[in-house]
Amino acid sequence: MAKTILIVDDSFSLRQTLGIALKGAGYDVVEAVDGKDALAKLDGRKFNLIISDVNMPNMDGISFVKAAKLLPAYKFTPIIMLTTEGDEAKKAEGRAAGVRAWVIKPFQPPVLLDAVSKLIMA
Amino acid sequence: MDMDMARDALVQESRELLSAMEAALLQIEDSGADSEAINAIFRAAHTIKGSAGLFAFNRIVSFTHIVESVLDRVRNGVLPIDNAMLSLLLNCGDYIAQLVDAIAARLEEVEPDPVRRAELEAQLNQLLDEQDTAPTHSAPAAAAVTHTAQEPTVSEDPVASPYWHLSLRFSADVLRMGLDPLSFLQYLGNVGTLLNLQTLPEGLPPLAQLDPEQAYIGFELDLQSEQDRAAIDGVFDFIRDDASILILPPHASMREYRALLAARNDPQMLAALLAQGTLTADEAARALLPEQETVEAVSVVAPVAAIEPAMKLPANAPRGDEKKGGYEQKFIKIEVSKLDQLIDLVGELVIAGAGASLIANRRKDSQFEEAVQSIAELVEHIRDAALNLRMVPIGEVFQRFPRVVRDISHELGKEIDLVVTGADTELDKSMVERLSDPLMHIVRNAMDHGIEATDARLAAGKPLAGTLRLNAYHESGSIVIEVSDDGRGLNKARILAKAIERGLVSAEQVLSEREVFRLIFEAGFSTAEQVTNLSGRGVGMDVVKKNIESLRGEVEIVSTEGAGTTVRIRLPLTLAIIDGFQVMVNESVFVIPLDLVIECIDLAGLDGHHDIVKLRGEPLPFIRLRELFELPALEHGRESLVVVQFGQQRAGLVVDRLLGEFQAVIKPLGELFSRIKSISGSTILGDGRVALILDVANLVHQAVQQQATTQNGKAATGLVSPQKSNG
Repeated sequence: MAKTILIVDDSFSLRQTLGIALKGAGYDVVEAVDGKDALAKLDGRKFNLIISDVNMPNMDGISFVKAAKLLPAYKFTPIIMLTTEGDEAKKAEGRAAGVRAWVIKPFQPPVLLDAVSKLIMA
Repeated sequence: MDMDMARDALVQESRELLSAMEAALLQIEDSGADSEAINAIFRAAHTIKGSAGLFAFNRIVSFTHIVESVLDRVRNGVLPIDNAMLSLLLNCGDYIAQLVDAIAARLEEVEPDPVRRAELEAQLNQLLDEQDTAPTHSAPAAAAVTHTAQEPTVSEDPVASPYWHLSLRFSADVLRMGLDPLSFLQYLGNVGTLLNLQTLPEGLPPLAQLDPEQAYIGFELDLQSEQDRAAIDGVFDFIRDDASILILPPHASMREYRALLAARNDPQMLAALLAQGTLTADEAARALLPEQETVEAVSVVAPVAAIEPAMKLPANAPRGDEKKGGYEQKFIKIEVSKLDQLIDLVGELVIAGAGASLIANRRKDSQFEEAVQSIAELVEHIRDAALNLRMVPIGEVFQRFPRVVRDISHELGKEIDLVVTGADTELDKSMVERLSDPLMHIVRNAMDHGIEATDARLAAGKPLAGTLRLNAYHESGSIVIEVSDDGRGLNKARILAKAIERGLVSAEQVLSEREVFRLIFEAGFSTAEQVTNLSGRGVGMDVVKKNIESLRGEVEIVSTEGAGTTVRIRLPLTLAIIDGFQVMVNESVFVIPLDLVIECIDLAGLDGHHDIVKLRGEPLPFIRLRELFELPALEHGRESLVVVQFGQQRAGLVVDRLLGEFQAVIKPLGELFSRIKSISGSTILGDGRVALILDVANLVHQAVQQQATTQNGKAATGLVSPQKSNG
């Protein structure tokens, strides 16, 4: 069964590019536009990995991750955060929330696919 | 991570490395350069630099960097390791120690000793420059050495395995970080082919305590890969903070494998490496041994095939090559106060146990008594184990002396060899600290006043180099520490003359040799005609004696004029709890340290005069405790004699009743009692009463002195016989 990945980003174009790349690599993809939307989508479903932007309206990526980590079903779910170069403060905040995998924007899709394949079994 | 803790760890680690470095330097001075010692020095500098770099302690980093460059050339045989080099490196070690002290004091921003630093750096740089300006003078040899040094994995004792070896351990929380170790293993397949994977359940707790959300296992695996280290390392980018990942290249050196084993410190690890074929049986056997271990030791391990020997031996494995100072700490570190607290509690437990057994005895309930008895036995074991925790080898004190002796002998222009024996003799940690200063003083005295100047030695027909011996051993409940020299010995007449001049004794007094020597410990006594900056300042031996006595110990001097002097310190093994022997005088209970009790005899059956009794044909002086403590006499009058021994002397103590053995938790006496000579402390009995602990050393002296005066008083009677010898 294909693994399902949740993409959380307010940028449509990014969601789209990522979606294409991930689907091309054999993953199922669900998209959310911000943290709030993403939290709602977690319910009743099991994602194998979450890719989230940091800066988003309504609920930012860090708050979303903190909330997600509190849900029993997502305690162990790998999370990749997309960040910009040099945003060390956010990164530290994310680390505290339990994020270990970071991909710096802008990135080439293969870089992200590579990160995904480190974090979940094929 | 708590930065302060990390900083303390750095300080601690650096100090240990520095003392290892010093030991290695002195070893080279003593027995010539050997590559292992040089490597140890290099490693020490290298590790200090590395750890300091993590904290950006740049003063250390920049200085150790130069030291390291010089050491690198020494290691490669480019620079010679001669006396000048040894002195320079010792000084560098001292200076690094200053820098470490500054870090410990949170003063790393301040240069502790700019002058010294400049001097040392100038010397080091000069060595480096000299070598640079004369690059190819011995072209082939030097070039070859330098070349191999750049590729250590090719030249230095490589293992047979052609694969990368990866050692992975994960923090317990790794899963909660969304990191699955297995997926990283799977990803490794992208950079190479996984071979020989072993799972090490090193931290796996019993099932009942297992937290399924935590990671407990580690992996050892071989990887066949054409990629470089950066690529393999890159696999672990995300997980690096939550895991410890060590990567060894194909044909890594034995040293790297030893370092790996030491880093993992896991008894199962070597077995795993052996089982999966990373190391051959022979390599595994060698990995267990420090590099210059004897052939004999190898032959014990090597022939035994496969996994068995490795499973038995890994306790030694982490000793590898980093630390082999014998008593170097490779243990967990515990705050001393925690140990003290434990010992206190055990002490209370002993007292409470004694109370319980008293009640059990009164109840005459045999089951209860039996239960109390078995608890008492366990408490005794716990007591011994707890006290043992505080026991450390005296080597901790002794290890300072090679350097001290070296420096002082240079300063004095004397040639002095130090011989240390019994360094693994154990004693209470609290004594180690307080023993250090007195010992230092005695050693300095011996070097300054004891051992003669070179020409005087030659004139006396002695070997040119003087010998100073440090020795320690256990003897009937005490530890004995001896400092002996083969110097000029004590001059009895001169000591006596000086003592009379100082008014310490009167001219008419007749003193035994022992008593004359004891004068040296009187306050203000110093015979040194020439006051040097080392000793002879008039403070000294009396302070030494006071220090030793505050540890309930004793110090004595044995000396033969012209042949040498031995200062012998005798200390109790512990200051906390002793096995005591209870005796009763009138209604008072006294405790005698059991180790010092030789035998108990009914006094009535013995033939005695005054204060001396004849025991198996030998005179034995005795003291009546009733008289000593001015207790009222009892009616029934059946007395017992407890024979005690301290050092080589025996005496008898006359008591009313013998009560038997008992564990005494020593409670110190208040200041008020500090002048009472015959009592060394107090203890609490099971029924809550207080009993005094007798100071046997003092009582024996009193009795022997009494005997001497009695003998001087009358002519020799049949009771007097030559000094007995006993062991």
